[in-house]
Amino acid sequence: MAATPNTVTSTEEATDARLERGVARAAGVPRTAKTHAGGEQKAQGLPQFDTTQWGGQAVWFLIIFGVVLALMRFVFVPRIGGAIEARESKISGDISEARRLKDEADAQAAAAAAETAQARAEALKVASDARTKAQAEIAATMAVEEARIGETMAKAEAEIAAARDAAMGNVRGIAVDAARAIVEKLTGKAPSAGEVDAAVAGRA
Amino acid sequence: MAAIDPLHQFLVRKIVELPPIPIGGYALDMSITNSVLMMLIAATLLSVVLALAAKGRLVPDRMQAVGEGFYEVIESTLVTPIIGEGGKPYVPFIFTIFMMILTMNLLGIVLALGALGGQNWTFTPTGQLAITATLAVLTFLAVLGVGFVKNGLGFFKLFVPAGLPVVMIPFMAIIELISFVVRPLTLAMRLFGNIVGGHVVMFIFASFVISLGALGMHGGLASLGFLGSAASLTMIVLLTGLELLVAFLQAFIFAALATVYLNEVVNLGHGH
Repeated sequence: MAATPNTVTSTEEATDARLERGVARAAGVPRTAKTHAGGEQKAQGLPQFDTTQWGGQAVWFLIIFGVVLALMRFVFVPRIGGAIEARESKISGDISEARRLKDEADAQAAAAAAETAQARAEALKVASDARTKAQAEIAATMAVEEARIGETMAKAEAEIAAARDAAMGNVRGIAVDAARAIVEKLTGKAPSAGEVDAAVAGRA
Repeated sequence: MAAIDPLHQFLVRKIVELPPIPIGGYALDMSITNSVLMMLIAATLLSVVLALAAKGRLVPDRMQAVGEGFYEVIESTLVTPIIGEGGKPYVPFIFTIFMMILTMNLLGIVLALGALGGQNWTFTPTGQLAITATLAVLTFLAVLGVGFVKNGLGFFKLFVPAGLPVVMIPFMAIIELISFVVRPLTLAMRLFGNIVGGHVVMFIFASFVISLGALGMHGGLASLGFLGSAASLTMIVLLTGLELLVAFLQAFIFAALATVYLNEVVNLGHGH
């Protein structure tokens, strides 16, 4: 394809002619009269290989690409990427905040549980202390009472023993008197005190 | 007859003719063609969509969700995983590549419906080698530029894989150099070929719908043509779905490869 300015500014008719030549070639169809009229031009399979079209398309594409790239660089990417980042940081911030609050609540619950356990331990201790103290008081009181009772009993026992001894002494006197009286009644004669004593002691 | 010519759709036509600008003996024709018009429409459309998406609300509305979805395809799926945190400055470039290709590809398919209404200005700029090649060369030059700015002459380490025996270095350097230099070619041809191929196949099936339908009009045994016509129509519907996928995929592949190529020079020698 001749890349002269004339061809570049060719009319649509000419491009159609060019295309039809290309198609004829691509399809293996014999050349039409129109193709022959085209003359010396090279065969083209696809209209895309017509390099006379390249310059304008390439430059236009570069201009449009550049404008879009600038928009992307300064407007779209910062805004869209920024929105996504802001959302992600908001979400992760919210999650970490929630996690912090949960940890705080957990810590408070643990502290409350510890306090409860401590209070319980203290209560148990107070109760056991009170029990121990009461038991000690009871034991002391009982010891005092027991000592007193023991003392009383010992005194009583001593009194009883004294009374018994006295009674036993009286019994001997009664026995001597009785023996004397019996002997006197039987014999009509009062025995001597020494004989009666000896007799009673011998029987006792 | 242009109507049944599958290549007619790729013909660049002038809409507003401007005088050529002579640059050193070459006449640069900046006329507004159907190709340029569609590029302008695509750029405007994507700018409007992204402007609506760039409201920065904490709870996104529909357009913002769409725009942020596109953005995350590039930022969270490509750039950050491939280049790492140092990839942030390249997001606008990769995003522009992706959105431009995607919009032009999609408009090429969706607006093709306009042909039914006799609208012949619809066009697919990504089906033009001039445009895919420009974009590929632009990407290649960007990689070169970033490579030299970031690494200075250390850029040439790119062609010497680490831990290679000394005798192997010249051979590997040549192979690496060739694979580096053909990148713009493969980038351009991959996008161009996919789009052109898809459009040609769809056009051919579309022409079958008409020609087999016309055949069926003759009656008799030729009525079977209606069956072929219906089958072709079904194929077009299915192919449209496929082409929508290809439109997205090719934009994504171009952006992904540009990211990979940029990563090689950004993280050169870091074994990233």
